[in-house]
Amino acid sequence: MAETIDTVAHDEQQLPLGPSPKFVTANIDVPGIDRLEVYRDHGGYQALEKALKGYQPEQLVDAVKKSGLRGRGGAGFPTGMKWSFLAKNTGKPSYLIVNCDESEPGTFKDRMLMELLPHEIVEGTIIASYANGVHHAFIYVRGELAYSGVQMERAVEEARAAGYIGQNLLGSGFDLEITVARGAGAYICGEESALMESLEGKRGYPRLKPPFPAVVGLYGGPTVINNAETIATIPAIVRYGADVYAAYGTEKSKGTRVYCLSGHVNRPGNYELPLGTPLRTLIEDYGGGMRGGKALKAIIPGGSSVPFLLPDQLDTPLDFEGIAAAGSMLGSGGVIVFDEDTCIVGAVARMSEFYRDESCGKCTPCREGTFWLVQLLERLEHGEGKASDIELLNDICDNIAGKVFCPLGDAATMSITSSIRLFRDEYLHHVRTGGCLVGPGARRVAVAT
Amino acid sequence: MPEQDELVHLTIDDHPIAVPKGTLIWAAARQLGIEIPIYCYHPKMEPLGACRMCFVEVERMPKLATACTTVVSEGMVVHTSSSKAQKGRRGTLEFLLINHPLDCPICDKGCECDLQDFTQRYGPGGSRFDVSKRHFPKPISVSEHILLDRERCISCFRCVRFTQDVAMENGLVMEERGYKNVIGVDPNAPFDSIFSGNVVEMCPVGALTSKSFRFTTRPWELKKTPSVCGMCAVGCNVRVDVRVDKVLRQYSRTNDDIDDGWLCDRGRWDVALINSPERLRTPLIRRDGALEPASWDEALRLVAARFGEIRERQGARAIGGIGSTHVTNEEAYLFQKLLRAGLGTNNVDHFHGRFPAAGKNDLPWVWTDSIAGLDGATHIVLLGTETYTRQPIVDLRVRKAIRAGARVWVVTPEPQRLDRLAAGTLRYAAGRTAAVARALLSIVASEGLARSEGEQTRVTAERVAAVAARLAGETPERLAERAGVDVAALRRLAREIAGSAGAVILYDELATRELGGETLAQDVLDLALLTGNFGKPGAGCGPLLGAANSLGARDMGVLPDMLPGYRPVTDPAARAALGGAWNASIPSDAGHDYDAMLSGVVKGLYVLGADPVRHASLEQRARLEALDFLVVQDLVLSETAQLAHVVLPAVAYTERDGTFTNTERRVQVVRAAMQKLPGARGDWEILVAVARALGLSWTYLDPAQILAEIGRIVPIYSGVTRRALGMEGLRWPLSPTEADGKRALAGSPFLTWEMLEQGVSRPASAGAGAGGELVTPSGRSE
Amino acid sequence: MISDDVKQQMREICARYPEPRSGTLLCLHLAQEQEGYITPEGIAAVAEVTGSKRDEIESVVTFYSMYFREPPGRYVVNVCTSISCYLGGCDHLLAHLEERLAVRRGETRADGRYTLRGVECLAACGMAPVLQVNGEFVERVTTESADALVDRLERGETVASAPGAWNVLADGRPQDTPTVSGASVAEDAAGSGRQQGEKAR
Repeated sequence: MAETIDTVAHDEQQLPLGPSPKFVTANIDVPGIDRLEVYRDHGGYQALEKALKGYQPEQLVDAVKKSGLRGRGGAGFPTGMKWSFLAKNTGKPSYLIVNCDESEPGTFKDRMLMELLPHEIVEGTIIASYANGVHHAFIYVRGELAYSGVQMERAVEEARAAGYIGQNLLGSGFDLEITVARGAGAYICGEESALMESLEGKRGYPRLKPPFPAVVGLYGGPTVINNAETIATIPAIVRYGADVYAAYGTEKSKGTRVYCLSGHVNRPGNYELPLGTPLRTLIEDYGGGMRGGKALKAIIPGGSSVPFLLPDQLDTPLDFEGIAAAGSMLGSGGVIVFDEDTCIVGAVARMSEFYRDESCGKCTPCREGTFWLVQLLERLEHGEGKASDIELLNDICDNIAGKVFCPLGDAATMSITSSIRLFRDEYLHHVRTGGCLVGPGARRVAVAT
Repeated sequence: MPEQDELVHLTIDDHPIAVPKGTLIWAAARQLGIEIPIYCYHPKMEPLGACRMCFVEVERMPKLATACTTVVSEGMVVHTSSSKAQKGRRGTLEFLLINHPLDCPICDKGCECDLQDFTQRYGPGGSRFDVSKRHFPKPISVSEHILLDRERCISCFRCVRFTQDVAMENGLVMEERGYKNVIGVDPNAPFDSIFSGNVVEMCPVGALTSKSFRFTTRPWELKKTPSVCGMCAVGCNVRVDVRVDKVLRQYSRTNDDIDDGWLCDRGRWDVALINSPERLRTPLIRRDGALEPASWDEALRLVAARFGEIRERQGARAIGGIGSTHVTNEEAYLFQKLLRAGLGTNNVDHFHGRFPAAGKNDLPWVWTDSIAGLDGATHIVLLGTETYTRQPIVDLRVRKAIRAGARVWVVTPEPQRLDRLAAGTLRYAAGRTAAVARALLSIVASEGLARSEGEQTRVTAERVAAVAARLAGETPERLAERAGVDVAALRRLAREIAGSAGAVILYDELATRELGGETLAQDVLDLALLTGNFGKPGAGCGPLLGAANSLGARDMGVLPDMLPGYRPVTDPAARAALGGAWNASIPSDAGHDYDAMLSGVVKGLYVLGADPVRHASLEQRARLEALDFLVVQDLVLSETAQLAHVVLPAVAYTERDGTFTNTERRVQVVRAAMQKLPGARGDWEILVAVARALGLSWTYLDPAQILAEIGRIVPIYSGVTRRALGMEGLRWPLSPTEADGKRALAGSPFLTWEMLEQGVSRPASAGAGAGGELVTPSGRSE
Repeated sequence: MISDDVKQQMREICARYPEPRSGTLLCLHLAQEQEGYITPEGIAAVAEVTGSKRDEIESVVTFYSMYFREPPGRYVVNVCTSISCYLGGCDHLLAHLEERLAVRRGETRADGRYTLRGVECLAACGMAPVLQVNGEFVERVTTESADALVDRLERGETVASAPGAWNVLADGRPQDTPTVSGASVAEDAAGSGRQQGEKAR
């Protein structure tokens, strides 16, 4: 009987790997770490060997459950639970899809992992396939990220040559094929069921649920879909043990995740930090504070699909529950920072255009609603709006949110409703003066009340 | 039928209801008579959930549910018109209307538009949209028949899902995405599908309109009559839409057993003949070599007098009748009755009349199963067929079977549209269909593929031996060579048929007219019998017929050797029974067949709704010209009518009542959808008038009376009445419950071994036959 | 023309999947590389190898933003205009490029040299503003570096594939001076994963 994966003692007083371990990005600055030999020299594929030789698939599923790992794509669903939902004995092959269709505005971690640590994703893919009884896994790389696609393909080929992919892996009797697929430009394909459609060579429309992918997914077979970062975390969980991973983060948001910091900070970039790290730490310590010494105006903590937070919420912990309690969502971990000179109406109009352009058009409220919202926002931004437009925006959002086919429509409303709630004055200023309240386009003269 | 014990109980708007597990909220509400508006959902397609029109509030669900995608669950409490649901629907309608042009006053769809109707019922009173609408060039011609107005389109996906998923043809697709989303056609993949018109009917707005219908009328001016399409032998159920004196279109009147709610473009739009300005409006009589208008009286008297003279001078066998596959059962029946009882001859036939070499009782005329039975077939073999053009809606049903996993083999001389979707195709030399069938049978017999388990124990050694004897000396190899087809491929196909859970083998009736085609029907029947593909649903064999009443013409005895119901004229008992009913004596010898009648053996010929000149050789044409007397009864001055001495103007199927029998034995009521063309008469009326001019005391007042007589004295039609047929028709032989006006519960009948052995044409002893499906005419006939 | 060789490559792509239709997107990329944009011949070839009807392929092509339906310029310059790049001044950059390249956004210059487009988030938000030239990233673009880039393109040089200018270190502390390898143009970018030259056009 193999040792169980979660034997490492959990000592809350003494964190096993120091205060801020890097489970995913530990070796990211090692030159040539994207090559198999270098990756192996730094412990690469040892987790795979450990998993294949020492564990039954169910033990791995249990370990991932115990690690508390939650999906890093945006929804934050517990990964181990997702795995355990995979339908068994359906008579159809099961599939694993690694979602590398990173497209959420403000998010750029998966692209980094694909470019620099492709083997970590491949290793995670193999372990996850083994854990789920999958014999054919797909890595779906966003079309625009050509270099990422090349890196993933090369890593897969290197792994195949090394015997990590193919028949009877490392003598375990386990067979696996991995195919790298490419998108062709569609944000919606990051949605898991739209991704499956795209992977089947179709237009990327989200599918009706139920049935859920875990029961009827790709080619009608049970399918697990995990985000690239989620998958890249798997080798570390196997390597260090579920308890070590679970020793970090908060009670419900365990481990670390890679935060993507962008916007008006001095040092934007990707930072792997334990969940629960305060926003302030990320922005001030890691991001080097506000660029040009400007004041902070607002933060979007989880990609453009989540509501704004205000400067007085800087001490909010960056974990699923903390951010939710503050009125937003942790989403994809894309933290976008806005300084005092940013016109919120203009920024929101820009974010809304994204959803209009990326709506697949399948359902009415999203297709027509985002079209209407953008027209109204642009007219407000250009000083041609009416005061009633503000309430109209809110009501259109109400007719979209919760009524659309997939989360894209809901996402489209988040920045609009939250900005109207938090920055109504700026909207009114646009109506009254025809210009912005702040920033280079500010028009203050006409504010006479 | 699904087990009824898995009922789910729920409440919709305070009404309790129990429905089978898996029912959608939308369907459950419909059962209660509660309308839930839909655009993207279509009962014949999978739920999509795109339009967000069917919002309902379900207690304990946080968000509004879409009724067309949500399956009922035990104890569910649904509110279809709560304020939350109403707001959701108002929101969706407002969204749909922001880019809709509101050009209703000039829109063809006005008054039958779901967007209009639902806006009135569920929509906001006004729009808050005051920015710019999307604009597109319009209209766009997307096919020979259809125009597209992209501004009116609400992207419900019905049309694209129909062409892609149901018709599985090139056609409309979604293009672009999001707010730029439009429907369109690939310029290099023309939308030339024969099923195209369905998208016009299913379009919930005026985005897709028909070129022929466009701007001709407002839909509320149409008179809409439920009827049956007269274009082919499928017998799709239609609604005939007439404006004053023109048929403008036919719409589907969904009959799941036949058409599944679809129509082909021929049925939908091919109204040229009915509306033709060339239609005859008065009888014509040849005077001094030219056909000239005459009164009905004069024409009828002349017909009676001339036939009387010929009968007197040259005997009844010098008179003949060529009937039609386009007239109703009632008319076909009267026609042969006029010939047999009135003029005293069995010289009556029609172009497709012969199905040669039929074994006793073996019923090769009929499809042993049904159109709907294709849904359950695991294998379908199409032998010498052109279903796409000749029986389009059967072709569509085959596509449905393909989606359900059936393996379809297209075995034809020429490539077919279905080839792309087929599991296999086989090409053979034109005109050699019979050799292909015989080769398959020969493989089954020689390879010991005959099955005899369960119900198939009836495949007796004698039957196998009889087949072997019939095929003696004909090896699969030689037959395959004759057919010009690879014998190995035929062996694969034969093994597939033999190993199938349910195979349906269909051939076109035209193939029986090929050289050597006289063995085809029997060989295919034996192929089905020996491989166990008989006597169960989702299996069987038979001919695919061509015209609206091809089977009815045969059933009614428009055949020289068969009385109505396939009773041989040589059978004294049958003659006596019929003669008694008719109060006439029927000649005991078989009449001249179609070809013989065109070879000069008759001097007087009555052609009813047929145009033999079109198929005639030069010699046959000369014989027709040389006839002493030729009467032609038709809609227009056909090539044959141009040779006639008397021409009698008849009416189209949309102008009279009656019944047609489709290719799967379904007898259906055809209804007059419009006034008769002034001056013309129904074929049955003309036949009654001719009979009376000949001195017969026929007193039929309407087709229902004729049908009642058929139901009494034609055994296979026993129990058929207009009332029993209802709106969806019944397949013969009727079960006793069906004859009593009750619908059969277990679907349509397929032919059974009892019927094969005893013959459905024979009055069975009371209570005989499995399932009570045997005909028991006792007590019905006089 | 889709050569037999390319068709063979397409078949090999399709063979990697349980159903050949899954190869559609990759085959379309291949067709586009071959012909510069998606032509009727390209659609026909992809329909053939994937066992689809051509109208289905046409429909797929129009869903995805990367497929050109008319010939693009020799250099396709995609400037990200999503929120992080917006905060980083992409509108100014795009306006500058419109002037410098003498072509409006969304259009191809009459001489066929440049196609300039504003595109949605390119997953380089930490290096905003960002653009791609023929699919290769150029990050932290200023008007000056954009001019330098155009100068090089004018000389016929190409942009090579290389990892992004990621400024994350193992200890989680950022570098003070991030490398800008993503913006290296033409010159030796023999980074470990370098892609083969410019794609065939």
